[in-house]
Amino acid sequence: MRGTSGDGAPEPELGLGLSTVGDYAVISVTGEIDMYTAPQLREAVRQLSSEGRMRVAIDLTPTEFCDSTGLGVLIGARRRLTDAGGSLVVVCANPRIRKLLDLTGLDKVLDVREAVPGE
Amino acid sequence: MNGSRHDRSGGRRPEPATVRFAFTPAAAYVRAARLVAADVAAHAGVATGLLDEVRQAVGEACTRAVLRHRDRGLRDLVRVEFSIGDRFVAKITDNAQDLRARSGDRVGAAAVGGDARASDHDALEEDTLSEEITLIVLGGLVEDLVVTGPSADGGTTVSMSWPLPGSGSQADH
Repeated sequence: MRGTSGDGAPEPELGLGLSTVGDYAVISVTGEIDMYTAPQLREAVRQLSSEGRMRVAIDLTPTEFCDSTGLGVLIGARRRLTDAGGSLVVVCANPRIRKLLDLTGLDKVLDVREAVPGE
Repeated sequence: MNGSRHDRSGGRRPEPATVRFAFTPAAAYVRAARLVAADVAAHAGVATGLLDEVRQAVGEACTRAVLRHRDRGLRDLVRVEFSIGDRFVAKITDNAQDLRARSGDRVGAAAVGGDARASDHDALEEDTLSEEITLIVLGGLVEDLVVTGPSADGGTTVSMSWPLPGSGSQADH
């Protein structure tokens, strides 16, 4: 649902759907990830790891838009999960976001897949 | 700005047009800036296939500007200008005079700005990462990209341009 901030400006939409596929806690992201909404995604990963869910998949296939702030969250999430003995999989069959991962070289740093492992 | 779509099918070129605005350096307004960019670019006649690129690039440049202001505790407005002439030109100007502060300074600057996230190490680290990634994304995305500054009396300006149909400058520099 699109809300409004205190001054009436429309707020970016971000939807985070949680599910489990095999060993992975999956966060399916709809809407736009930018510097305004990215903290919600960061917090969702943090919440899962605080619950002991250290194998996390972030599904960007349904994501409408992702900027560098979103990429920063992915890198931070990967580091935190890996440090804790877990792992992060980025699921992305979305060509626009794949392009972003490719041109930043993050496709080689992150574990990017077409589908959640075990799906 | 003219009220109708520019006719680039030939004949006399329309007068150059400009759209200029500024926004408080807050994350909430970056989306508005990138949506305006895509809309103005579409109106100017930028190819449909390039509109996503314009939206992404202007969003990245605005994000970078907001991060630079946040770093320094600056409340100055981030300035955005689109001009439509031979090409569609976007300029995003911040007012952060120095290069990004080192880690220790950043916490101090955020505290001066009253940013509650000053103690959030992960968020700060990701912000640092994000500013670096913005330039990588811009460099990979935009062929005609120039970043100038900071100067003695101002911050940096990210200038980008895209071709317009019939402009005789289809190829990016």
